[in-house]
Formats: sequence, C-alpha cells, structure tokens
Amino acid sequence: MEENLEHSEWIKGIKGTGFTTPSNYFEELNEGIKAKISVERLKSAVSTDGYAVPAGYFEQLQSNILARTTGFETEQVRKPKIVRLWRSGLLKYASAACFVIMAGAGLYFNMNQPSTAKKSSYSDIATEQMLFDIDEDVIIEHIEASSKEAQNPGTSQAALENYILSNYSQNDLSGNL
Amino acid sequence: MKQVEDAEILEKFSDLKTRDEAFNLLLNKYQQKIYWHIRRLVIDHDDTDDLVQDVFIKVWKNLENFRSDSQLYTWIYRIATNESITFLNKQKQRNNTPLDEVSGELEQALVAASYFDGDKIQMKLQKALLTLPEKQKLIFNMKYFDDLKYEEISEITGTSVGALKASFHIAVKKIETFMLNEDITF
Repeated sequence: MEENLEHSEWIKGIKGTGFTTPSNYFEELNEGIKAKISVERLKSAVSTDGYAVPAGYFEQLQSNILARTTGFETEQVRKPKIVRLWRSGLLKYASAACFVIMAGAGLYFNMNQPSTAKKSSYSDIATEQMLFDIDEDVIIEHIEASSKEAQNPGTSQAALENYILSNYSQNDLSGNL
Repeated sequence: MKQVEDAEILEKFSDLKTRDEAFNLLLNKYQQKIYWHIRRLVIDHDDTDDLVQDVFIKVWKNLENFRSDSQLYTWIYRIATNESITFLNKQKQRNNTPLDEVSGELEQALVAASYFDGDKIQMKLQKALLTLPEKQKLIFNMKYFDDLKYEEISEITGTSVGALKASFHIAVKKIETFMLNEDITF
C-alpha cells in the first residue's frame, strides 16, 4: 500500500517535468508536416529548376570577375599572346638583304629619271623658243585682239538682230545689201 | 575537390600578399551558388550575369570590413538578394509595371529564355513560383533548391524563423494548388 502510494507520487513527478513547447506549436506542427510531405512529393517529380548556362560559362565568369577586381586573371591566365617575328637568324638576314636591294633599286631609278622640276623647266624653254620664232607684230596683234574681246564681251546673235531691226529701217538695210 | 573553409579565405584575404588568392578561392566556392540564387529570382541569364559580377565586385570592395559576427556565405547571399530585389524594383519602375503584373513579364522572360532546358513539369513549377509574392518566392527557392536552414535564411533576409516557416508553408500550398489546377500530378 505504502509502495503504491510512493509509485503514484513518482508518476506525478514525471508528468510535471517542466518541459514546455513554443506557443501555437501543435497548430503549426500540423502545417509543417503537411508542407514537408508536399515538398517531398514535389521534389521526387521536380528536383532541379531546369535553367541552363552557355558552355564554359562559369570559367569565363570567374575570369571576368577577377579581371574587374584583382587583375589576377589578366596577368596570369590571359597573358597577351606574343608572336615572335624573328624565329630564325636566316629570316632576319634575308629581310635585311631585301631591304638593301629595294633601297638600291629605288635610288638607281630616281637618279636615272628626270624629275618633275626638270621636266617643267624643259617645257618653259621650248615655249620661249617658239615665241622667239613668231613675228613680233603677229604677237602684238593677237594680244590686242584678245584684250579688246575681253573688254567688250561678245553679244548674242539674237541681241544683235534686235539692235539692227530697231535702229535701221528696211530700206537702209536693203540699200546696204 | 576539397572545399576551403571560410575562415581560411578570410585569413588569407586579410594578408595583402595572399589577398588575390583568397578571392580566387572565394569565387571557386560561391560563384555558382550565387549565380543560381540570382537566376531563380531574375530569370534571364544576361541579367543574372551582370548581377553576379556586381555582387562579387561589392564583395571584393567590402570584404576587408566584413566582421565575423555573421557567416561569410550568408553575408554574400544577403548582398546577392539585395542586388536582385533592387534590380527587379528598378525593372518595375522602368517599365511602369503595376506590382500584380510583374509575374506576367517574368513569365514572358521565362518562356523566351535562351537557356532553359527544363521539361514541362519544371516549366510549370517555375510558372507556379512566378505567382508567388517576391518574399515567398525567395524563401521557397532558398529552402527548396539551396537546402538552406531556416536560421540561415533568417540571417540572410532578416526575418524571424517563425515568419519564414509560415511563409514557406503558404508558398508550398499555393504551388501545390497551382500544379494540381494545371493537371500535373506529383
């Protein structure tokens, strides 16, 4: 009897251990379990999002970021490619020889062809010689005629006709003809 | 490949001699995670590409001042989340789009996306996500795809764990309803 009493007291003690739960825990627990089941079912059908990236994208992305921050990639991985022009001594000497030949040929042709200045002086002498051969009176007459023409520029045929018709009578004209 | 610890990255970053190496390690560890986190929010690959670069440039500039009272990856996630939300808000303002029509625009971007290899059901899930408010979508993505703990999401978003749980449960219910209405059983 005494033993039973002690036992019930002990059970009472266990029931009142002092453990508690957050407020509204059991209401939320129900929602939580339902959501978890739904998520598990959804994940078995759709585990990934389906998005993709271009091939090699992440390597390029890392290079781009490093180039904009540390400069690490540009210096170490993306070193500018150096193409050597003079791979062998033979090519070097052949190029030098070509240059000498080209320069020599240029100099030779330059010396053997009259220059444009020389050409113009030859044409001036020829013109002078031609003028010397023409009679002086002929030249003066030509210059005078040219200057008169310049002072009185020629009138058109129609204007000349109008002038004659308005200043001379029919009789005058027929008499002169 | 063995992942380097955040503490090691931070220690190397604090030394000028090993700073570049530390940042390279950080990129190796986090660039893909951050890319996918942003991509699920902004949908378009090119927009994501710009944002990821901006995020890591910010990380580079501010890592020196990073205090270890929060975890490194939650700090980077927070920068990425803020950048993405700012970008989406700017997009709304630029297009003068009412808030309830934003999901329509994002859905168009999803359908026209150049880099989407998903099947019909993956497309439906993404469309279902677009019907969610921004915060619910963000929480769902971090829990469902990134497998982050509520405590970590709380650190990133600055929302209490209780509120996060409630948001996640609502999001799951909405997605389930959407999928069933579209005759997709799972």
